[in-house]
Amino acid sequence: MISTIHTLNILIPIFYFITFIVYLYDFQREDKNLSNSKRLFLFITLCTHLLYIILRTIEFDHPPITNVFEIFTLLAFSVSFAYFVLELVTDIRGTGMFIIIISIAFQTVSSIFIKDLSFVREELRNNLLGTHVFSALLGYAGITISAVYGFLFLMLYNQLKQNKFGLLFDRLPNLEILEKLCFYSAVIGFILLTIAIIIGVIWLPQSNLNFSYTDPKLLGTLLIWIIYGLGILRKIYGNLRGRKLVIVSIVGFILTISSTILSNFLAKSFHSFY
Amino acid sequence: MNLIGVSINHRTASVELRESLKLSTEEIVKLINSLKQSLLKEGLIISTCNRTEIIGITVSESVTFDSLISELLNLKSVDGISSESFEKFKSFSVIEHIFRLVTGIDSMLIGDNQIFKQVKESFQISDENNFIGFYLKKIMDFSLRIGKRAITETAISEGAVTVSFAAVQLIEKIFANLSKKSVLVIGTGETGEIAAKHLRDRGVVRLALTNRTFEKAEKLAKELNTAVFPFDNFKEHLHKFDIIVSATGSQDFILSKSDIEKTMKKRNYESLVIVDIAVPRDIDPDCRNLENVFYNDIDSLNIIVEQNLSKRRNEIPKVEKIIKEELNGFTEWLNSLQVSPIIKALREKFEAIRSEEVQNNINRFSNEDKEKLEIVTKKIINKILHNPTIELKKFANDESTQDLIRIKLSVIQEIFGINTVKEQEKFEA
Repeated sequence: MISTIHTLNILIPIFYFITFIVYLYDFQREDKNLSNSKRLFLFITLCTHLLYIILRTIEFDHPPITNVFEIFTLLAFSVSFAYFVLELVTDIRGTGMFIIIISIAFQTVSSIFIKDLSFVREELRNNLLGTHVFSALLGYAGITISAVYGFLFLMLYNQLKQNKFGLLFDRLPNLEILEKLCFYSAVIGFILLTIAIIIGVIWLPQSNLNFSYTDPKLLGTLLIWIIYGLGILRKIYGNLRGRKLVIVSIVGFILTISSTILSNFLAKSFHSFY
Repeated sequence: MNLIGVSINHRTASVELRESLKLSTEEIVKLINSLKQSLLKEGLIISTCNRTEIIGITVSESVTFDSLISELLNLKSVDGISSESFEKFKSFSVIEHIFRLVTGIDSMLIGDNQIFKQVKESFQISDENNFIGFYLKKIMDFSLRIGKRAITETAISEGAVTVSFAAVQLIEKIFANLSKKSVLVIGTGETGEIAAKHLRDRGVVRLALTNRTFEKAEKLAKELNTAVFPFDNFKEHLHKFDIIVSATGSQDFILSKSDIEKTMKKRNYESLVIVDIAVPRDIDPDCRNLENVFYNDIDSLNIIVEQNLSKRRNEIPKVEKIIKEELNGFTEWLNSLQVSPIIKALREKFEAIRSEEVQNNINRFSNEDKEKLEIVTKKIINKILHNPTIELKKFANDESTQDLIRIKLSVIQEIFGINTVKEQEKFEA
């Protein structure tokens, strides 16, 4: 099984890359024949990736959540999976390449640095931790997708303002839809992040002796949660819309990435398990 | 088959001449009746704002292009039109011309799919007036198929190529659902009227009009069933609209940047699309710098039009490939016409021999064997004729010259003593 896992570890970034190329080609050429088949490419990639995650969990006897590179592979999967669901629900097919490229980045880093860890700390085998991590990752996937749509909104917004009617004008959905996708992805991300925080706050003090409310990861996550929460409230009850709304989403995403990097690589946190 | 065609179009005559020759349905029917009498056996008349064409199979070799032109000008006399105002087509070039026409690549506005509907209607009028015969029926089938193929297999008709369509294309890049948006059209002159009607056609429900001459706006509002505001106080209502289309004849700005600023404040900074299609412009272009305001004038809309036209031009080779394929198909069909009557005559001749011999000898067989005799003899005839039939069909697609094919066919007719003239007539009927 270990050789299969190693083979899949190499194949998955390649699969994501091929899927990206198919989406890119369709974005540029708008090939009617590719419109459906590109979704099949993504589906096959996601199935292969899911198989890889399951095999790792069985082989190493723990879910792949024990270090940043295991989390990266889950994040790569979550982002593309969330996009796949979004594409099926909304039937907006022109934006896949902008999302899949995020999965390529996370998965490539993961594939290069991931290690075969059979022995992990006992609390990392806890089911509640699994729920905490999965909801947090899906929340991050929502935030990531929201930021990508926010970025696309800004690009199209600027092109329309400058009377540039190029490829993005032809292929992207309209601003109203991009804003909606950005907002709803952020709302889903926020809800999942809320669940992750609640589980974390209840469970972590009991299971982790080093737990601290001043932990940088915890504070960073709280800050992100507050930003998104305020943004969502202002969108619903105030006048936060259009360009300003998507900027909040992008800022939230940048803070999320910064918080992850700081807490995992620079600061000493009980969230670092390796 | 002596197929000829004349066409007055954007390449050969001015818009005034083209317009003055446009025929109504009644006039087309009248022309069909006069052409049927002495000039054409079957034919087609296409008449739009941009072209008038007569295409058909002549009753004799003596019918010329000028005969058709004279007949047209007898019906609708227009000063300044001569034989030089017409393009002339003969034989195979007529078919190629119709095929190019239905795909829109011959139109002034490349890829204009209106022409496909117009040609289809023209065929229908000819058909209803018994002016479509054996050959034109086939040309019609091929033409309609090519028109559909060009639309589905290429992007020749995609993208907006008029200013009003470009405005809608642009608005649809900002808003998701036009039926939920409210639109104000300022100015109900010709341009404003076209824009208002076009927006209504695209599903805009909440449409309002305003015009310096209130009665004019009121008249159009009645026609389109929309609200109308007096021009003096329309600015007070600006914030209610998501889209403002302006097309007045004013020499100065009728809306300043500060007007739009105030409107945006009242709108809680929700997106506002401004389409200023007036020349000179009606709305201060500086308002494009305001947050969530999308200002577009005639120049920016023309950029979209030009880009789309350029994309359509790039599709022409794909359309020409389809035309070539279908022309080959048409040639094959045309060639098959020469051999089909021979195959039929050959089969009838053999069947007659078989049937006669069976009848002469039928009493020599028992009742049980009579049925078997029919089956066996038919099988023999089918087997004998199988190979000649295949070889004859190959003649239809033979790359040899028409003369050589004709010689080969006449040898076969000579050997088997078959006369296909009657068959040919029956076939075409």
